[in-house]
Amino acid sequence: MAQLSFFSVALKNLKRKTFRTGVLVFAIALLVSLLIFAISFTVSVASSLKKSSERLGADLVVVPVGARGFAEEFLLESKNTSFYMPISINEKVKKIEGIEAMTHQTYLSSISGLCCDIMPTRIVAFNPATDFIINPWLQKSLGRPLQLGEAIAGFGTSENLGLGLLDIEATIFDNRFSIVGVLEETGTGLDHALFMTEENLKNIIKSGKSPLKEGNISIIFTKIKKGYDPDYVGRVLEGEIPEVDVIARSDMGEKFLNTLADINKIFLLTTFLASVLTTFLVWAIFSAIANERSKEIGIMRALGAKESHIVHLYLVEVTVLGLLGSTIGVLAGTYLSALLTGSFSLLKNISAGLSGGQQATIALIGLLVGTTICITGAMMPINRIKKMEPLLVIKEE
Amino acid sequence: MSFLHIENLTKTYTVHDTSFVGVDNISLTINKGEFLSIVGHSGSGKTTLISIIGGILKPTTGRVLLEGTDICTLDDNRLSEYRVNRIGFMFQFASLLPILTAKENVLLPGIFNPGKNMPDEKAAVDLLEMVGIGEKADSYPSQLSGGQQRRVAIARALLNKPDIILADEPTGDLDEETEAEIMNLFEKINQKHGVTIILITHNLNLAGKAQKKLRMSKGRLVDI
Repeated sequence: MAQLSFFSVALKNLKRKTFRTGVLVFAIALLVSLLIFAISFTVSVASSLKKSSERLGADLVVVPVGARGFAEEFLLESKNTSFYMPISINEKVKKIEGIEAMTHQTYLSSISGLCCDIMPTRIVAFNPATDFIINPWLQKSLGRPLQLGEAIAGFGTSENLGLGLLDIEATIFDNRFSIVGVLEETGTGLDHALFMTEENLKNIIKSGKSPLKEGNISIIFTKIKKGYDPDYVGRVLEGEIPEVDVIARSDMGEKFLNTLADINKIFLLTTFLASVLTTFLVWAIFSAIANERSKEIGIMRALGAKESHIVHLYLVEVTVLGLLGSTIGVLAGTYLSALLTGSFSLLKNISAGLSGGQQATIALIGLLVGTTICITGAMMPINRIKKMEPLLVIKEE
Repeated sequence: MSFLHIENLTKTYTVHDTSFVGVDNISLTINKGEFLSIVGHSGSGKTTLISIIGGILKPTTGRVLLEGTDICTLDDNRLSEYRVNRIGFMFQFASLLPILTAKENVLLPGIFNPGKNMPDEKAAVDLLEMVGIGEKADSYPSQLSGGQQRRVAIARALLNKPDIILADEPTGDLDEETEAEIMNLFEKINQKHGVTIILITHNLNLAGKAQKKLRMSKGRLVDI
């Protein structure tokens, strides 16, 4: 037998009515799993958007007027969209004060049905001379620039294309390409694209099979000089060049974030209501426990237990209960989040993974909230228990 | 200085604006190692008196001096320390915790006494053997007879080596044979260990086993 202690007595108390203990543990687990799911969902989306916009490395993104939503869908959600503006916009952007560097990209969707073409995929053509978005990834993955007739697959695209081996040949709009590698995962929508230089795109356009005409680009990424306010430069850009919309890095995914804010409110309300219900349940059950065990508490007080001992005993009991329920809730919530990721289009189209640190923090929050709610619910009955007059409760029987 | 001195002790209860006296101006001196019995009808104030001596009830007026210390002036924490260190309680009913085995019930006062070394399992089994139910150490109260439960309660009362055992009709619902066995146990504890025993009973035969007998009536002590 282990030495008798407050902990061992509390455990024995919990085992006394296993169904009642089970109901409480289940209620706390339910609350915590809801909380974990809500936080995981929100943090996944928010951090994925933040990571994506940071990985792009641009302070301002210039897109054709009205194409802001399409651009965000392409860059963040991996959606297949096309939007174009004349390449001459480049010159206009270059003249704006505060622009330090800029590079453009052209997006093209390959189509199925053409002889020997690969599965439909998104093609990103970039200018290797000015690029600061793709080149750093290329350097890491390939260690050299892309040549004419070469393409490199984004991390997600490689799976779609069934690429397991390097140096395979692929046909895009009747042009043969050697796919020379796979870029490492970036967490952006660009993971689901195939990358090539502008020279390659020109050959595709020349073949006449693609809908794209020469002299068009999709997007211009810009870096702002130090000391300039990106928002101010963005406003100047939109004022000076009416043909474009500008997305600041901080505004990237605004549509998502607005939706997320609404979802957060629903989560917050649901979690709040669940917390109130759980607190009430704990209060009701511990009130019943206080009544049931009043004689035992009187006996313990007569045997020399201080008020603090009674509080200690019941706090241990309620904390064990809270921790048990919260641990189950954390595990269930984490599992539920992973299971349901595929069911939410908001999560499906973005790289919604959480880092180990984020997962640990969320788990800790779940444990703390579950246990705190449990203790809060039990505090009033515990305070009543400790104040019981030993003789009165002993003589009640 | 006397061991236990009770001085002008009065306890008045008020229920629904009506006051009645539980203990009425009692003064009494009890010597160390004495075996005292108090008899009286129900409602005569016996339980109120030993509850005040045991520190689980505050008197309205008067003092209870244990070796010169007035326990009525102690705060709640000090009173708890007084109970755990100096008093062994036995109640009118089986007062064991149903979730604990016999030996765990015996050890229970130990967890409220962090100042002392926590008595170990062997100490509990030794006490249970002393009261004659060593073989029941791992039994739960529901597996014990009424008499065996009382023996466990006696063993528990002895755990912290108290100066005084307060026994409030400890054999009330037991058969005569078991009653006699429990009384023999009290005599043995009193004689062998020198523990002061104050026994409350309404049974004059049992009271006769004590060295000193008192009777309570309407809250006052009268000689038998």
